[in-house]
Amino acid sequence: MTRTALALTCVALVACAGVLGLSRGGPQPFPHRAHATAGVACTRCHTGLDANPSALHLPDDAVCTTCHVKPHDTRPCLGCHAAAGAIAELTEARAHLVFDHRQHAAPTRGDCMRCHVGIAEGDDHLRPPMATCFRCHAHEAARDARKCDACHRNLEDAQILPQSHLAHDGDWMREHGTRAASSGDLCESCHRESFCADCHGKTVPALPATRRFADPFAASVHRAGFTARHALEARAQPGACATCHTPDRCVACHTSRGIAGDGRRSPHPPGWVGPAAADNEHGRQARRDPAACASCHDGAGQALCVGCHKVGGVGGTPHPPGWSSKLPLGALPCRLCHPAGRAP
Amino acid sequence: MKRWLIAGAVVASSRSAADPLTLRADALATTAAPTGLVTLEAQGSPGPGLSAEAVVWTGSAADQGRTDVLVMVLRARTANGRASGRLGRFVETLGALRPVQVDGAAARVRVPLRFDVEAYAGVPVVAGLATARTWDWAAGARVARQIGDGGSIGVAYAQQRDDGRLASEELGVDAGTALGKRDDVAAKLAYDLANPGIAEIALTASHRSRAVRTELYLSDRAASHLLPATSLFTVLGDVPAQHGGAVVTWRAAPRLDVIADLGGRRVDRDIDPALVLRARLRLDDLGTSSVTGELRRDGAGSETWTGARGAARIALPCSLAATTELELVVADHERNGLGRVWPWALAALGWDHGAWQAAIAVEASASPQDRRRVDVLGQLGRRWGTR
Repeated sequence: MTRTALALTCVALVACAGVLGLSRGGPQPFPHRAHATAGVACTRCHTGLDANPSALHLPDDAVCTTCHVKPHDTRPCLGCHAAAGAIAELTEARAHLVFDHRQHAAPTRGDCMRCHVGIAEGDDHLRPPMATCFRCHAHEAARDARKCDACHRNLEDAQILPQSHLAHDGDWMREHGTRAASSGDLCESCHRESFCADCHGKTVPALPATRRFADPFAASVHRAGFTARHALEARAQPGACATCHTPDRCVACHTSRGIAGDGRRSPHPPGWVGPAAADNEHGRQARRDPAACASCHDGAGQALCVGCHKVGGVGGTPHPPGWSSKLPLGALPCRLCHPAGRAP
Repeated sequence: MKRWLIAGAVVASSRSAADPLTLRADALATTAAPTGLVTLEAQGSPGPGLSAEAVVWTGSAADQGRTDVLVMVLRARTANGRASGRLGRFVETLGALRPVQVDGAAARVRVPLRFDVEAYAGVPVVAGLATARTWDWAAGARVARQIGDGGSIGVAYAQQRDDGRLASEELGVDAGTALGKRDDVAAKLAYDLANPGIAEIALTASHRSRAVRTELYLSDRAASHLLPATSLFTVLGDVPAQHGGAVVTWRAAPRLDVIADLGGRRVDRDIDPALVLRARLRLDDLGTSSVTGELRRDGAGSETWTGARGAARIALPCSLAATTELELVVADHERNGLGRVWPWALAALGWDHGAWQAAIAVEASASPQDRRRVDVLGQLGRRWGTR
């Protein structure tokens, strides 16, 4: 049985190797290592490094055919002999990095591999990681001041994610709030105001999941059929809704849909409210998820609670033992139950 | 009045954004509310250290038409990066305290010994371009010291008033940093000063190796402290809810990512699992075509549920892409005769051709709100200037 499963797994892996990216079809990474070990100097193919800092310095077919005099194909060389996305990655880097190869020729003594380390190992990514820059450039003052524009241009538009600290992996949607608390100034390096406001703004007309409905991989809260499961999610995470929404938002929607307000059918089970303590499930549920109560009973609906829980009322005190508040009894919401600032 | 305000916002952002200037316009139409939405965005940098950004929208829902400003902010920064400021409408995130959208001003100054001081003050934003505001304001400050390359430890305080009444008063403590190249830790704590008690605690720690990233997380939240202090439901005391677990992200193959979130929730006396297993397969090296599948088990107490979600995006010729997204939620218990099986599906065809973007989709669902519902969505966008 185990052998059969193992065999089936192997067959499946071989069959799916191409799809999984385990075996490469199509464009291959450029064989830099083979060229380097053959003694071909980098600048023989990557010409113009000392002339035009804004160029990509990629070789064209004419450069390749100086050695490979009989090309096996009539198509452009880099169409097949360059990893997918490698050129796009370089174009992105050129557009968003302040960098000049000319200034690095002397300090590196013309040794390109000092920065482009991965090339010798067959790495697809030609752009060196930022840690490579920091081997020589301290930039400590700029880093402390989050002054990224010494090297980066228009980071808001750059299609890159942090590779080391604050890597946006895993469940970043849940994690980002905790990370941003202590690194908010770093977030501002790449994200515009509208990025935060798209979800956290009170005047959001439609969430990103709605506005970009044709991209199921875009990050957004309330994805897919959230409307159907929002009550379940709210009860599993009491208070989570209140981090963005005020109770009046819930009340307005629930009233418009006939879930709250006059003439509605009570959603509560029998025994929800009663004189016997055992029947007072509403008290336990209210303490467990007060935001759920507020989603229908906030505002004018509070009068329903106050009818029993006011000072001298049959409902007694709703406060747990040891509860305290710095609000004066004459302030809202205290005065709803403590008329004229009267303590029980 | 509203039209003049919107026109002013657009003109102000355009004037302050000489070069480079980015403009974007998007139109969304759907048979579900809002039935129509037009969004205009503008960003620009009039000079070194200055930038401006504005996002305004107008839409018509089933019940009423509305126009509003999401963002309209002017940012300034000194040449050495030591001081910066914002003026206008923006979202302020101050350490461990909850984000708040204000019409106001904010500033940050980096003082010696790697200390930062930041503060904001303004009027909390309410929807609808309301001009007849009562005595509402919010103000806060944070003092922090940078630790490591990208982290800091800080203390923040903020107070918010609603019609002159204390709506929230919180103290926050946050800390986060990278511990070497592979480890990150971050934590935050918010303490409610109006009704004394811990409002929220969150901790996260992650470790990355070549193909695997592991994150441990824990959160503790007291719902009554997250409501405005003016709400009657804040007097009930706190029954904190906890959520904790571990997320493992594994690059199983060059094009295949697998994510497992093994967690649990505790709400009052109920302890339930919160599990997610997700896989994403890129069908090409650039990920322009991808499929994903997800299984989820979540909920608390009698509100537990199981869900499955799948999505695919297939790149087509002529800058077209076909996408589909499916979700099935099965609640463990039926409540109030609303059913317990809720499917949702969307099929879309998108077109992304340089500055132009367009998409059309059909969405179908069954939910506790609507036994059957089919909607059509359409979107058209245009971009001017650099992306």
